[in-house]
Amino acid sequence: MAHIPDGVLSWPVLAAGGVVAAAAVAIGVRALDEQRIPRVAIVAAAFFALSLFSIPLGPSSVHLLLSGLMGLILGVAIFPAVLAALLLQAVMFGFGGLTSIGVNTINIALPGAIAGMIFAPLVAQADVSRAAFYGGVCAACAVLGTGLLVSLSLYASSPDFAVSSRIVIFSYAPLLVVEALVTGFCVSFVKRVKPELLARTRSA
Amino acid sequence: MRVIFSLVAGLLLTLIAFSPAEAHRLRVFATVEKGEISGYAYFVGGARAKGASVVFRDRADRELHRMSAGGDGAFRWRPEPPQTIKIVVDAGEGHVGRLVIDRSRFLGKRAETEQDNEASSFADASISPLHREMIETTVDEAVARHTRPLMEKFEAMETRTRFNDIMGGVGMIIGMAGAAMWALSRRKGGAA
Repeated sequence: MAHIPDGVLSWPVLAAGGVVAAAAVAIGVRALDEQRIPRVAIVAAAFFALSLFSIPLGPSSVHLLLSGLMGLILGVAIFPAVLAALLLQAVMFGFGGLTSIGVNTINIALPGAIAGMIFAPLVAQADVSRAAFYGGVCAACAVLGTGLLVSLSLYASSPDFAVSSRIVIFSYAPLLVVEALVTGFCVSFVKRVKPELLARTRSA
Repeated sequence: MRVIFSLVAGLLLTLIAFSPAEAHRLRVFATVEKGEISGYAYFVGGARAKGASVVFRDRADRELHRMSAGGDGAFRWRPEPPQTIKIVVDAGEGHVGRLVIDRSRFLGKRAETEQDNEASSFADASISPLHREMIETTVDEAVARHTRPLMEKFEAMETRTRFNDIMGGVGMIIGMAGAAMWALSRRKGGAA
């Protein structure tokens, strides 16, 4: 669960997450210009809306994060995009928490930003099918990173979460597959229709 | 930009077509019947929190009772004496739901002992205290039994993520982007 609610994490973890998130968002905002703002807004709106929907999968259900795709398209601008969406989700739906918003932003956006930085050059140079593959791997890595960070956040907060933090990794497995498929499809679509959208992120 | 729009619209339509709006938020529903708290924990969207840890605390946050929810996320416990109870359900992975059952929800005379009995609607002196208590208890139980389905329905409706709310959030993000672009253009205009 990437949307950690209020009252779960310890204050040191919340404070550390808040400070790191503030720095990352500042970096992301500095990278924004008039051309990138609409793109960031649309991607943030997509993340806001799509992560509210769950897809039933076996005994559980998963909701998309799209952090890999966001990292590919937005680069470091993923941080303000995720923050804005999480803030609205917390305020409007009580989904996630306000005190944990820094940690949640980092847990979702940081793996996406790193995966995007690694895979954006590969996606930009590859043909459509290979780009879709790289996109899928990028999304899978981002989801795995989010799972690890959520586990770490829980484990660092309380020893009571030791078991939960180990289980949480496995609970991300279905999402990892779904996210890879969706991102792979999206990347192949963008690559065919407007490849410069992915190519431009190399400088982000 | 049109490409991102079509992608987003396509994904949204697909999700709306295949699933109701729901999330991983854990909620707790509980009522009091015959002095016993009964309810269940569920994730927004309907899935029950099977085997979740349920802790009952008093007003001072002292743990009174701990149990595991059943296969359908259900729990049942009778506090002695009736008092304000905080229910904390932990389904793991940070999924925590809370609900406070006020002391006044415990029906019948037991919960009313410290309250002013003068406020009772049964002011008729011809009714003995024993009968009054029986009538009150019977009526309270019947009302609780009949209103439970309504309360469950209301709870479900309240937690449902509405399409209009989502669109409102999307609009706010687009609005924020517009404000940012306006601020940026003003800064540029000022610099020129």
